[in-house]
Amino acid sequence: MQRGASILSTFGSAALREAFHTLRQHRGRAFLTLFGIVWGTAAVIFLGGWGDGVRVMIERGFFKTGRNMGTAWAGRIGEDFTPAADRRTLWFNQQDLEALRRRTRLSDLVGGELWEIGAATHGGRARITDLRGMDPEAIEIRGVPLAAGRRITRGDLEHRRRVVLLGDEVRRLLLRPGEGVGTWIRIEGKPFQVIGLLAPVGIQLSQDRMLIDKQVWAPLSTVQMLFPRSWTDEPVVSNIIYRMRDRRDVAEAKREVRAILADRIGVSRDDDEAVMGWSSLEMLNRFPLDQNKGFLLILAIATLGVGGIGVLSMMLDAVHERRQEIGVRLAVGARPRDVVVQLFAETLAVTSVGGLAGVALGVFGCLAIGSVEAPDLVPVPILSGSLVGAALAVMTIVGVVAGVAPAWRASRIDPAITLRME
Amino acid sequence: MNPLLALDGVHKTYATGRAQVHALRGVDLAIERGELVAIMGPSGAGKTTLLEILGCLSTPSRGHYRLDGQAVEALDDGGLARLRGSEIGFVFQSFNLLPRMTALENVELPLVYRRVPRAERRQRAEESLGRVGLDARARHRPAELSGGERQRVAIARALVNRPALLLADEPTGNLDSQTSDEILALLSDLHGEGHTVVLVTHDATIGRRAPRLVTLRDGRVESDQRD
Repeated sequence: MQRGASILSTFGSAALREAFHTLRQHRGRAFLTLFGIVWGTAAVIFLGGWGDGVRVMIERGFFKTGRNMGTAWAGRIGEDFTPAADRRTLWFNQQDLEALRRRTRLSDLVGGELWEIGAATHGGRARITDLRGMDPEAIEIRGVPLAAGRRITRGDLEHRRRVVLLGDEVRRLLLRPGEGVGTWIRIEGKPFQVIGLLAPVGIQLSQDRMLIDKQVWAPLSTVQMLFPRSWTDEPVVSNIIYRMRDRRDVAEAKREVRAILADRIGVSRDDDEAVMGWSSLEMLNRFPLDQNKGFLLILAIATLGVGGIGVLSMMLDAVHERRQEIGVRLAVGARPRDVVVQLFAETLAVTSVGGLAGVALGVFGCLAIGSVEAPDLVPVPILSGSLVGAALAVMTIVGVVAGVAPAWRASRIDPAITLRME
Repeated sequence: MNPLLALDGVHKTYATGRAQVHALRGVDLAIERGELVAIMGPSGAGKTTLLEILGCLSTPSRGHYRLDGQAVEALDDGGLARLRGSEIGFVFQSFNLLPRMTALENVELPLVYRRVPRAERRQRAEESLGRVGLDARARHRPAELSGGERQRVAIARALVNRPALLLADEPTGNLDSQTSDEILALLSDLHGEGHTVVLVTHDATIGRRAPRLVTLRDGRVESDQRD
């Protein structure tokens, strides 16, 4: 062990010394070559992090309406399933919601919503708003944090309390400075007390009807009571939202929800006009995010490869210039494979100098762009150990590949011939 | 007892373009342990080629060479390297020290390739430098040493593996006469201590001072004289 460590440390320090000498000897070319390695390594980290950042930004934009969420609502019986004249309008009720909650396997949370458009008024101001009756599960799925106050509770639903949470834009347009939780407003003339304020949501990449900042949330049972549907006396749920356990199951989860709800309302499971569905995940999956990141990484790795060709050329020259030295090493007992190891170590050392500088530059670039505070517009590049590891791995592969030819050429040096040239 | 070196009908042929150069044309030579042998001859006589074969830097095209009983022509590159590292010490006309290493590191080099642990390596290199009277210059690089000092470092490097054979190729060729005398005295001392020394020289004075003088001409041994 000690012997192995000893030879390694000898080659290690010698390799570094020779690497720096080679860099000094070929200063101009070394600069350009190392620039390629530095830039390539930095680019792997930066563009990889950027690709991940774009993914996160787009996901965040899509998930502002709810992470891993799907929606189902009732339409009309499809033309393929019944004569057009007989197409009934369909709806879901509270029992349908409960049934889905009990029977779903692919979703871990199911919530009910009842949507209404109405005028919200307060202190002489008015605004058309998207009033949503929601149960605590729906609020949990939507996942919008509170800026103040409390959420809608099970108790609010049981007592059909006239309480609301205000979206950020509704709050700004309706309430006066100093007003907030505790204020009474009216919606379609009916009084509601503000119990909470939703935090600003900002730019959404998907939306169902109005933006969340323009919505007002009230207990589902309250909205069902105050805004009954003309065609039925039972409490209606206009939208059922569900959160998938595994986002990869988006299609299966949609099928499962449709099957359960279709059975409940007595329509065909294949009638996608009767039970309609949508998920922002389906849209998100259409974005070529992986291809985008892959393309960026290929560009970066190509740059690194060009740097590797520079290293290769520089090391081939170095071997040519040092053939006498290599001859001396062979004369005093170095085996060809010792020379190969040394040349590899030197090439790797040259590459590592550029690679480590590139890691530093890449990390700096990620942090610099990440410090720009516009998370919805500028992606925050994501620095990950695996990306730095990948950059170093690619750099090592480039170093090894660039080292093959110089090492092979060095190992073919005939000491008798080179020492004769002295 | 077997001789340390035994050449039997050794030929060496080089191909240079279409022409074949016959550098050695059947050399028979035996050198015993502890001998000091000078090899002389005009340019093109095959001195350097013979030295390369003796030093296992190349192998005969034809014929046999045994070093300490071992058939050299049967060895591959790795085997030749091992033999060079363990049995042979080289001293070159232009010293061939590695310029970016200190004297001590240059002397350590053969031990590195024999996988000698660092502490032992250092101790043996210091001893070897001490033997040639250069212990005070151990931390200097070749550029900071005089010609004579550089050649002493080269001799220390050749000795550090305690080789069976010391091969010197024009060891005084780049030195002034006083320094040459010092180096020859050192080689003579080493011979006195029991080392086997083979030196190639153009200098007839040096040749005559050696106990045994082998003269080459046209790739053959022309004469082999002992005191």
